[in-house]
Amino acid sequence: MDMIDSILLVDDENLFHLVFEDACSLLDITLNLMAIDNADAAENHFANLVKENKPKPDCIFVDLNIIGSSFDGIELCRRINFVHGDGVVIGIISSSDDEQEQAKAVKAGAQFWIIKSDEIEPRLEEFVKDFEGYKERTAPFKVYR
Amino acid sequence: MIVLNDEIKKELINLAAEKNIFLEGNITKLIDCESNLDFQNYILQCISRDKENRRKRLDITKTIQQQNKELIEWKSHNEQLNKDLQFALEASEKAKQLAESDLDVLQKRTQYELVGSIVKVALWVICGVGAITSILFAITLLTDIENKTVESSWSNMFSILLTNSFSIVGTIMGVKYASDKKGRGRCKCDD
Repeated sequence: MDMIDSILLVDDENLFHLVFEDACSLLDITLNLMAIDNADAAENHFANLVKENKPKPDCIFVDLNIIGSSFDGIELCRRINFVHGDGVVIGIISSSDDEQEQAKAVKAGAQFWIIKSDEIEPRLEEFVKDFEGYKERTAPFKVYR
Repeated sequence: MIVLNDEIKKELINLAAEKNIFLEGNITKLIDCESNLDFQNYILQCISRDKENRRKRLDITKTIQQQNKELIEWKSHNEQLNKDLQFALEASEKAKQLAESDLDVLQKRTQYELVGSIVKVALWVICGVGAITSILFAITLLTDIENKTVESSWSNMFSILLTNSFSIVGTIMGVKYASDKKGRGRCKCDD
């Protein structure tokens, strides 16, 4: 199974950054992980990458409620998909399993929804198996429970 | 992949053997170790140690995350309890005020009832004594019996009854005025 070249994680909880980083390393998901704790900063970062023509991350994981930001994760998905981005794999990683929010995320261009819990590793492993499908835009929206 | 020369590989292996210092982190996954079996073992050992450390850190981080979550839940639970307690305190304060008010009303009503009874009894006594002396006086008048004593008794009795009735009414009014004043004074203190 190939690694994902680069991942951007947007989540306000710094402890989760560590969990995600260690899980990615243990499961050999990626060697290049960047974590940002604010949606505004993430949008600016992405806009700068586009502006400066720098390589964009292959995959973006966005938390649903990013405390301290002026907009939520679904809005960040929408902006990256429809304002700045093109073809980047993006989805939500949240402890919520709200179907209405998931429907909103799909409209905003999210391709997956991973439920955050103590055992995140099996879901990430499953996600990596589906990653090629997301990259090629052939895999349907999926919730990893 | 990163290719290291033999001298560096040897130095890294010696460092691990002598001082137990190993390469760690994702860099270990980017070093080419195919050509040298010793170095391959060394890199595998580095990766294994790194994974072990990460697993430990992951477990600790998850525990801290769980504790944080529990603390937040406890905080929220405590805040709710405090709110409930505050509501209960306010409700009990209102109930206390209501009970005090009811007690005050009850006391006043009992007082008024007592005063009413006293007035009724006093009036019956006054009217009764007045009627009896008047009847006696009337009999003496009608029967032409010597009536000086009854006349003076009747007159004395009436003046005494009149004086006493005014005295009773005065006392009752005084008690009523005093109790009203006391009640108002307590209300001001409560405010």
